[in-house]
Amino acid sequence: MIEYDSHKKLPPFLDELIQLFHYHELIFLITGNILKNRYKRSVLGILWMLLNPLLQTIVLAIAFGAMFKSSLSNYPVYLLSGLLTWNFITQTTQYSMGTMAYGGGLLKKIYIPRATYIIAAVGNGFVNFMISIFSMVIVVLFLGHPIESSWFFLPFSIIIITVFSLGFALLLSTASVFFVDSIDIYQVLIQAFFFLTPIIYPISTLPSYWSGLMAWNPFYYFVEIFRMPIYENTLPGNDLILISSLLATSTLLIGWLIFTSKADQLAYRL
Amino acid sequence: MWVFKAVNKTIIQLDNVTVRFRVPHEKIPTFQEYAIRWLKKRRVTYSNFNALNDVSFSVQQGETIGIIGANGAGKSTLLKVISRVIRPTQGRVLLRGRIAPLLELGAGFDDEMTGRENIFLNGAVLGFSRKDIASRLEGIVNFSGIGEFIDAPIRTYSSGMVARLGFAIATDVQPEILIMDEVLSVGDAEFQKKSMARIMKYHHNGSTILIVSHNPNSVNQLCNRAIWIEHGFLKMIGQTSDVLNQYSRNIYS
Repeated sequence: MIEYDSHKKLPPFLDELIQLFHYHELIFLITGNILKNRYKRSVLGILWMLLNPLLQTIVLAIAFGAMFKSSLSNYPVYLLSGLLTWNFITQTTQYSMGTMAYGGGLLKKIYIPRATYIIAAVGNGFVNFMISIFSMVIVVLFLGHPIESSWFFLPFSIIIITVFSLGFALLLSTASVFFVDSIDIYQVLIQAFFFLTPIIYPISTLPSYWSGLMAWNPFYYFVEIFRMPIYENTLPGNDLILISSLLATSTLLIGWLIFTSKADQLAYRL
Repeated sequence: MWVFKAVNKTIIQLDNVTVRFRVPHEKIPTFQEYAIRWLKKRRVTYSNFNALNDVSFSVQQGETIGIIGANGAGKSTLLKVISRVIRPTQGRVLLRGRIAPLLELGAGFDDEMTGRENIFLNGAVLGFSRKDIASRLEGIVNFSGIGEFIDAPIRTYSSGMVARLGFAIATDVQPEILIMDEVLSVGDAEFQKKSMARIMKYHHNGSTILIVSHNPNSVNQLCNRAIWIEHGFLKMIGQTSDVLNQYSRNIYS
């Protein structure tokens, strides 16, 4: 009976997948612990996950509400639906970069699947995302914004966004191990993309040559696919569905292949 | 008590294992510097450093092996490559059995979580299922001697308590292979006796033990064979007394 053979019989992308399956309970535990730790010491606890996006929306709505009053009715709904997607993508990617670059210590000490912490980070972000949807419902009900059958599309939007986040997190985490400052570079880039993506403003305010460029902004598609069923109460068009799911799956595929092919070097580099 | 017959069975096998680290001549951990160098067409030069060099040996079931050598000789790298933390650059490592590394007791412990929660967490890190741990929980808690503190956060524990809990989890199931860095000195005198007794029991029942040590006396006492590593090369492997003799002669000559 051979328990371990350093010669791989399987390609890395498959080997890591099997190991993750074997260690799935560890991933659930770590995901749970991240959630517990974040809110354990605060009085309001899990309520913060609801309050955080609400407060963010109130602040931004006060700041920009007047500006887009004429073009966007129920501006807080528009704003929050964009923010939730944005926060999910950026928070999970930043968190997983951080844990790999600074918290990868465990990978140096003992064998666990290399992607454990990244998947736990995305899992944690996913739970946050789910809970913050309640804050979305609160805002929608409060403003009397209609809820229609288009909301049934949201699970698909969420799956697409999660797949993209996981792939993106895998790519960025690999980079963060090889170049420490990729975390800072990413920080600056997402700040820029926050304003380059129509989150706080409608795309119609942009001059036409700018809105044409939006086709090259991947975040645009993911923000739109979550926002449309909520704000416009319409199903996303076929183009949008096709492009966003292709983007998401190809990012995950490429991210997984790159991460697993570099995974053995991680313990050397960390 | 069930006693494994110490049959001649190779349990650890290393074939021409080389572990190579790539050491850049200048430190360039940032993308910024890398990009600047690339723009200036100044390529970064690396040198290769072999922490282990073409190391081959095999260990039979039930043996106790001492690993000796100076600091930086490659002993820790050897343990890492055996406990599958790093994969060899070249060569092959084969293990026939579950390994319990007692190098990092309580790896992955979360300070904010209670002792009980951490038993499940550390158990999962070691590859046990939740069900498995749940059925062993009582035995682990009893052995650790943590008592009522088991439901207090780990951050309130003394370092001795943390190590005791880590040891209790890592050794609750008899492993085929035990790996130690120096002879264990976990907790107080009483616990040291208890933990040593457990290890000896496992050894008696057929577990193979690997110990890295700087103490020739304990190697002489415990190990039937010894491995001497120098500059990443396997300098000598053989009967403990022979290897220790050569080793000390080499040091004092």
